[in-house]
Amino acid sequence: MNFRLSVNGIERHVDVPRSTTLLSVLRNNLGLTGTRYGCGAGQCGACYVLADGRAVASCLTTVEQAASQAITTVEGLALGERLHPVQDAFIAEDAMQCGYCTSGMVMSAAALLERIPHPSEDDIRAALDMHLCRCGVYGRAIRAVKRAAEVGR
Amino acid sequence: MSSGGRQPEVLERRIRIEPDGTVVALSGKIEFGQGIRTAFAQLVADELDVPIERVTVVLGDTAQVPFDVGTFGSRSVAQESPVLRRAAAFARTQLIARASETLRVPRERLSTADGFVCDGGMRVAYADLVRQRPLSGRIPDDVPARDPSERRYVGKPMPRLEARDIVTGRARYTADVRLPDMAYGVVVRPPVRGAAPRAVDDAAARAIAGVVAIVRHGDLVGVVAEREEQARAAADAFEVDWVVKRPAEGKRWTIPIREDAGVDEAIAGGATRLEASFSLPPITNAPIGPSAAVADVRADAATVYAGTQRPFGLREELATALGLDEQSVRVLPQLPSGTYGRNSSGDAPLEAAILSKYAGRPVHLQWTRAEEFAFAPTRPEAFLEVAAALDASGQIAAWRYDEHTNVHTGGGFDPRWGAEASGRNAEPHYRIPRARVVLHIEPTPLRTASFRSLAASENIFAIESFMDELAHASRQEPLAFRLRHIDDPRLRAVYELVAERSGWGHTRGERQGLGIAGTIYHGTYIAEVAEVEVDASGRVRLLAVWAAVDPGLTLNPDGVRNQIEGGIQQSASWTLFEELRRKDARIVTSGWETYPIATFRDAPGEIDVAVAGDASAASTGVGEPGAVPIAAAIANAVFVACGARIRELPLTPERVRRARDA
Repeated sequence: MNFRLSVNGIERHVDVPRSTTLLSVLRNNLGLTGTRYGCGAGQCGACYVLADGRAVASCLTTVEQAASQAITTVEGLALGERLHPVQDAFIAEDAMQCGYCTSGMVMSAAALLERIPHPSEDDIRAALDMHLCRCGVYGRAIRAVKRAAEVGR
Repeated sequence: MSSGGRQPEVLERRIRIEPDGTVVALSGKIEFGQGIRTAFAQLVADELDVPIERVTVVLGDTAQVPFDVGTFGSRSVAQESPVLRRAAAFARTQLIARASETLRVPRERLSTADGFVCDGGMRVAYADLVRQRPLSGRIPDDVPARDPSERRYVGKPMPRLEARDIVTGRARYTADVRLPDMAYGVVVRPPVRGAAPRAVDDAAARAIAGVVAIVRHGDLVGVVAEREEQARAAADAFEVDWVVKRPAEGKRWTIPIREDAGVDEAIAGGATRLEASFSLPPITNAPIGPSAAVADVRADAATVYAGTQRPFGLREELATALGLDEQSVRVLPQLPSGTYGRNSSGDAPLEAAILSKYAGRPVHLQWTRAEEFAFAPTRPEAFLEVAAALDASGQIAAWRYDEHTNVHTGGGFDPRWGAEASGRNAEPHYRIPRARVVLHIEPTPLRTASFRSLAASENIFAIESFMDELAHASRQEPLAFRLRHIDDPRLRAVYELVAERSGWGHTRGERQGLGIAGTIYHGTYIAEVAEVEVDASGRVRLLAVWAAVDPGLTLNPDGVRNQIEGGIQQSASWTLFEELRRKDARIVTSGWETYPIATFRDAPGEIDVAVAGDASAASTGVGEPGAVPIAAAIANAVFVACGARIRELPLTPERVRRARDA
């Protein structure tokens, strides 16, 4: 089936079965590999993208559902070479090791700051809680989100 | 054969200066988030006097880098930094020598800056000095290092070179490799590892749209299709009659690590005697990104993109599996999801290569989460028996330690280094006049292999918990009790430093407590203090952790802190939550819902890492040591908080309740 998607502000067309996941379309049809596969069950957060500004698991979103929403992936978060404050803050706090979970965390953090520009630490922990990180950068990621919120102040 | 050991180090295999002035530094080590690319770039930029932006570090490409046995044991920086430093320093002296000829100026008058050799106002670019004749030659052992005062990068906090690519999604992991004409493979899995197919009915699988190849190679059954979903649907459509074989469980070994005379007698005659046993369940590396590989196998050559810690070992295995000679196989290590030792095994790359050979096309293979839990190797369980006696002054008189576990590395047990791996840190880091320490390797149906720090975190959980028990049993303060058994000033220093930073000795709130533990891991000194709170239900909350670490000369202090923090966070997760569930050889854990790990809500409010490296000592690793003492520090803190002595991990609320209310 043909689907028309809006991804990072660009109209894209794909021809895939309707049950295909948004994750698969992004990675295998559109070459947007920054969205990572982690579990395929919405349990780890590695594949999170923004759908109409809300952070969602792209592995649980079908292409059909995605077609009615504006999708933003990690590749579309920066404005050209100007990074989103969350991206800058993750670099400044060195809030990554292997970096595999970072794309998803950055997307949820960006969505959080849209919703709550000055979140408390508990807000941050709650908003990011579905993002598993095996390298153990949770503390740094919390600091990074606080730093990004400060920049927006 | 590549396994014959290291060739003499030659400059052309270590440092290359490109026509545009880019400095390429080459190493067989692998980056997987531990920051070695950045650490190596810092070192080379300083020693060669170029801006770090101009340094490219090539890691693990078997077509370019010198042979390397593998990246593990937190030894990359320790092993490679002296060689890269000498190579860069040697390159610089050669460039000065060449500039001296070009400029007709004596060498002593020349200096370097930002990729140029300079003499007052005159200067010549490195790239111009190598245009006709690339740098080459055996690297001497005694090239003098530049004066530390001339360093711009080493020793300074530095963002990781890959950071921008990671936050923008541009970083390319193994699963992100896309090749022209690439197809997608899936392996048909048996109910339990090691099963062999007796009969395979692939009729339904063949009928699935997009199927490119059905593969049967030894015990491997697989399928390749145009799209990943098609390959997975086809794999599900196979009817396979599997012969389930009980996996080989390995032999029994008894390896004495230390055997002093008269231990049993000294324990029997001690003023205070204590014994206890500790147990840890099997746990698994559980990378967030399951294993993946992309292979492009042709009739006479193969290129394999993989997350691997042993590119040359993998090349050898691939060559054997594909019937090619090693020189025709190129392994290109990609940035992998952190795997903490699991990538010592080349499962996905070997499978992808076989699928590609049959398909005649490049093949992308992505394991699912369930495959990763069911078929990846695990850290074996451990059962640790310890007994000790104190003399009348409260000093340890004798110590007996029996470690029962399985092999901690892939490829079976080798008695030559088995004690170093499976018995790692089994011998206490304290002054003990008589001790017997024995490693017992016992059979297991599980597939076991490397996981961060191998057996050290298991042994230190037992040893440092038991030290606490001895201190409490003899009414000695736990830190003072440790210090009176330490001669090494560097070890003493990290215990004292962590005590100072954590406010050790000050009472915490109700139901809260501090616990301490430390070790020496591969030359790195580390001590940690955990602060916990135990609620009425027995749930342990980790409030804060302090660590003091001495890894010798420190290249990137913030990189060190990040690694130590990560080790602490990961190991705290093992300690509080993790246990791989199995029925005989079959792993029944299949997803994160049955293998919970620490999340954002569980992260301690603070992890304070004091890096106090002895700059006169050689650099030692930091990837693993942080993970080693924390289990005991937490268990010791739980004892202070609520009186429950937990000797069995994970430290679940039920166990805490049972021990507390007993």
